[in-house]
Amino acid sequence: MTRKKGSFSDQMFRALMRLFPFEFRGEFQGEMEGVFREQRTDVERHEGVRGMAHLWWMTLTGIFRTAPREHIEMFRQDGGYALRMMAKQPGFTAIALLTLALGIGSNTAIFSVIYGVLLRPLPYRDGQNVVVLTQPMPGLGSDDIGFSVKEIEDYRAQNHSLDSLVEYHNMSFMLVGHGEPQRVATGVVSPEFFEILGIKPKLGRFFLPEDDKPGAPNVLVLSYGYWARQMGSDTNIIGKVLSMNGRAITVVGVMPPIPQYPDQNDVYMPTSACPFRSNPDFVKNRDARMMNVFARLKPGIRLEKAQADLSVVASRLATAHPESYPPQAKFTAHVERLQTELGRQARTTLLLLLAAAGMVLLIACANVANLTLSRLLRRDREMAVRAALGAGPARLLRQLLTESTLLALGGGALGLIFAALGLDVLVRFAARFTPRTGEIRLDGIVLAFTAIVAVGTGIIFGTLPAMSRRRDPADALQGGSKGTVGGGRRNRLRSLLVVSQVAISFTLLAGAGLMIHSVYNLQHVDAGFRPDHVLTMLLELDWSRYNDPSGAKSRAFFDSLLTRVGAMPGVVEDSVAMHVPLNESGPMSRMFQIEGRPVPTPADRPRANWHNASPNYFRTIGIPLLRGRYFTDADGPEAAPAAIVNQTMARHYWGEKDPLGQRVSFDNGDHWAAIVGIVGDTRDYGLERPPGDDIYRPYAQVSFRMARLLVRTVGDPMQLAKQVTSAVYEIDPQQPVAEVRTLEQIRTNSMTASKLTALLLALFAGLALAITGAGLAGVMALSVSQRTQEIGIRMALGATPRSIFRMVLTQGLGMVALGAGIGAAGAYGVSKLMSALLFGVGEVDWITFAGVIVLLLGIAAMSCFLPARRAANVAPMVALRWE
Amino acid sequence: MSKDRATQPFLPLTPAMFYVLLALADGDKHGYAVMKEVSLRTAGRTRLSAGTLYGIIKRLLTEGLIEESRRRPAAENDDERRRYYHLTPFGRQVATAEAERMDEVLAVARVKKLLGHLETA
Repeated sequence: MTRKKGSFSDQMFRALMRLFPFEFRGEFQGEMEGVFREQRTDVERHEGVRGMAHLWWMTLTGIFRTAPREHIEMFRQDGGYALRMMAKQPGFTAIALLTLALGIGSNTAIFSVIYGVLLRPLPYRDGQNVVVLTQPMPGLGSDDIGFSVKEIEDYRAQNHSLDSLVEYHNMSFMLVGHGEPQRVATGVVSPEFFEILGIKPKLGRFFLPEDDKPGAPNVLVLSYGYWARQMGSDTNIIGKVLSMNGRAITVVGVMPPIPQYPDQNDVYMPTSACPFRSNPDFVKNRDARMMNVFARLKPGIRLEKAQADLSVVASRLATAHPESYPPQAKFTAHVERLQTELGRQARTTLLLLLAAAGMVLLIACANVANLTLSRLLRRDREMAVRAALGAGPARLLRQLLTESTLLALGGGALGLIFAALGLDVLVRFAARFTPRTGEIRLDGIVLAFTAIVAVGTGIIFGTLPAMSRRRDPADALQGGSKGTVGGGRRNRLRSLLVVSQVAISFTLLAGAGLMIHSVYNLQHVDAGFRPDHVLTMLLELDWSRYNDPSGAKSRAFFDSLLTRVGAMPGVVEDSVAMHVPLNESGPMSRMFQIEGRPVPTPADRPRANWHNASPNYFRTIGIPLLRGRYFTDADGPEAAPAAIVNQTMARHYWGEKDPLGQRVSFDNGDHWAAIVGIVGDTRDYGLERPPGDDIYRPYAQVSFRMARLLVRTVGDPMQLAKQVTSAVYEIDPQQPVAEVRTLEQIRTNSMTASKLTALLLALFAGLALAITGAGLAGVMALSVSQRTQEIGIRMALGATPRSIFRMVLTQGLGMVALGAGIGAAGAYGVSKLMSALLFGVGEVDWITFAGVIVLLLGIAAMSCFLPARRAANVAPMVALRWE
Repeated sequence: MSKDRATQPFLPLTPAMFYVLLALADGDKHGYAVMKEVSLRTAGRTRLSAGTLYGIIKRLLTEGLIEESRRRPAAENDDERRRYYHLTPFGRQVATAEAERMDEVLAVARVKKLLGHLETA
């Protein structure tokens, strides 16, 4: 019994010995086991169970204290040796460090963006429980139609899974009372908005339920940025009375410095203070949707449960109000975590870039592994000597791994510097997809990522060459430095590495090529208008002054402006419109009915994208007239209502028949507008989106206060910007002018995200190509130098320099062809994965693939050229004596 | 002086390390014997585990304070799995230097009547 227990203890001790480095075990294990056995026997005999417990306690603490110390000591020795080896070969070290730094640095940079945008928890209390609701109508091409007050009330009353559901919308108002009058971005929110986010005010308080009651005094919360920037961080600001839209409004609080979602606002006000939101007509109109809705999941409720719950509410609404939710709209309600939603648009692109960066790192690993292999060739003798002196295989593996890991850590440190340098560009890039860029930084998590990637890299590129090390030291000692004996396995490994590099490069190049092709297609798509020489600016008229229901005041303003601008030298045409093509994310659509056709139920009523423009709009931006006429000044407020449709709408609703003279109504037949013209199709909501059904109404017949001024000029449109702005101030000195840009800039802007993605992918692909090319050249050079003797024999036997040249080139290009073949399969997969990001590019894009093959073969031929020439120039007699 | 300079970097020794050197001062011993000697000399107050002991032995070997003994006991008393350790002359110097260092400390303690107080108590 005692014996059995004893042997179990001994086995335990033997198992624990594994915690020591193998060198230590090799030297002391047998002896230590013997000592432990004797000690254990003594204690069992004289001290019993308590003694045994004490012995084990002592033994465990001894092992756990000594083993790590031994490991550190071992690493110190190996590390010192590794550093000396690196210093001895500065060329190898520099190339390896640079290659690794590029690979690790690009991964670090992309990861820091991914962490900041997709993974970092929101800076709110239990941020993961904050959700955002949307109402998609996929049938009408809308991801979210927004919420009306009625709908918010329904969801609030009927859901069982959400706590305090709050609304949000964003407007801009004039704020007076603290320096110059200013237009401020204003978040209009439910009183519980800040409570949902779980934040505490920096100063004063947030909103209370009584602030939101009709007739309550108007109150305002300032964002931290606005308070610091415009109010000079005035700590006495609470209680100060300012004026907004002609109404007195009291500052009650200041927000802490946290990122704001979904918009960066200057100030916040409760819904009752917003003149639009508190308008009784707006409140009771179920279809007046302009709000976003946020909520917090009830404790213990999962997202899927909340989704099911909201779907039930949505289908109930659709049944109760069919006129607001036509079946063809396929209306639903959707709930998503705010964190997911904020990163949604960026997700695909960022993951694509991470994959690209990962591929670059793999290629870098393969390259450094290859370099290490070549270096090992020269170190075979050194390793053999060390082995002969008693270093076991494990010891030597550890030595090599220490060297590769140290190299990778060095590359990681350098890569971190590269990442820090490139981060600004990436942040600006990411800002096109997400509001979370403020949270991108190189912090502890990113550092940890870099460290893990670096160590992983070191292990990957260190293990491969180490595994291929010769097993028999005697072989190496006899084989000399030439390395032809037993080198077959290594040569195969080297070739395999090059083939993998080519395959990965091919895939990456194809990805970049597809994106570039897509951008090219976007650039050359006919958007249906002429973007050159057009100046645009946003004019948002102050509702408190331009407030007559007929819209006469705003019309007078725009008419006067158009007259002034039209008279300026260098102006060809000018107009105002509700929006500018390619500047909005989605259409504003309205239901209509066609005169003389059966009146569909409200549920089946068709919809068209609603536009509103002054007569010269079409000429200003060059939308061609296909039939009928453009609007004229005669289409005034008192004239017969007129409308213009685009070609798609004409074909869609009238087919072969003539739509001219047909009448449509947007208000259940109360008013009818006659179609007076058909114009060409335009791509208004993205170059990649096909044209929809567009209907235009003259601005004189439908008033609006928020307009874009468009001016076609002879010369550079931006040169007229100042003059046009002055014209605005002459008519109304308080009228702000915003978003002054050319139509060309807007068009370019709409493609920037795709262009930048293409650019980054091209950068990664270029990097991959350069590394692969260098790797191939290195392998070929080594192969030629190894085969010098063989080449000499061939030449002595009659081979010509030309045939030798061809032989080497064929060997190199053979590897490339194999790699390209494998890469083609990868490229096919990539084009499928990227399809959502591509425009006008087929599943198999032969043009891109052919381009990639030509490029790759070109680089490969260049890489093989020098080694092949060297082989062809070998002098047979020298080669035969080659050692 | 040069002797001092050579031994100085090792001082002060950890108590365990000093006990191991002391255990070898009067003759070569194998690991378990060292362990028992230390326990005996300290009346069981200092007990070394195998891990701790061999961590120390490795360090002392590396530093040249001890070495593996070539002399072994008579065949009937010998266990060939055991290794015997021998205090090198340098190891002896280090142990002596440590003892002298401690002696100086004790002298101060005596002057301050710390030890006297303890002895009379």
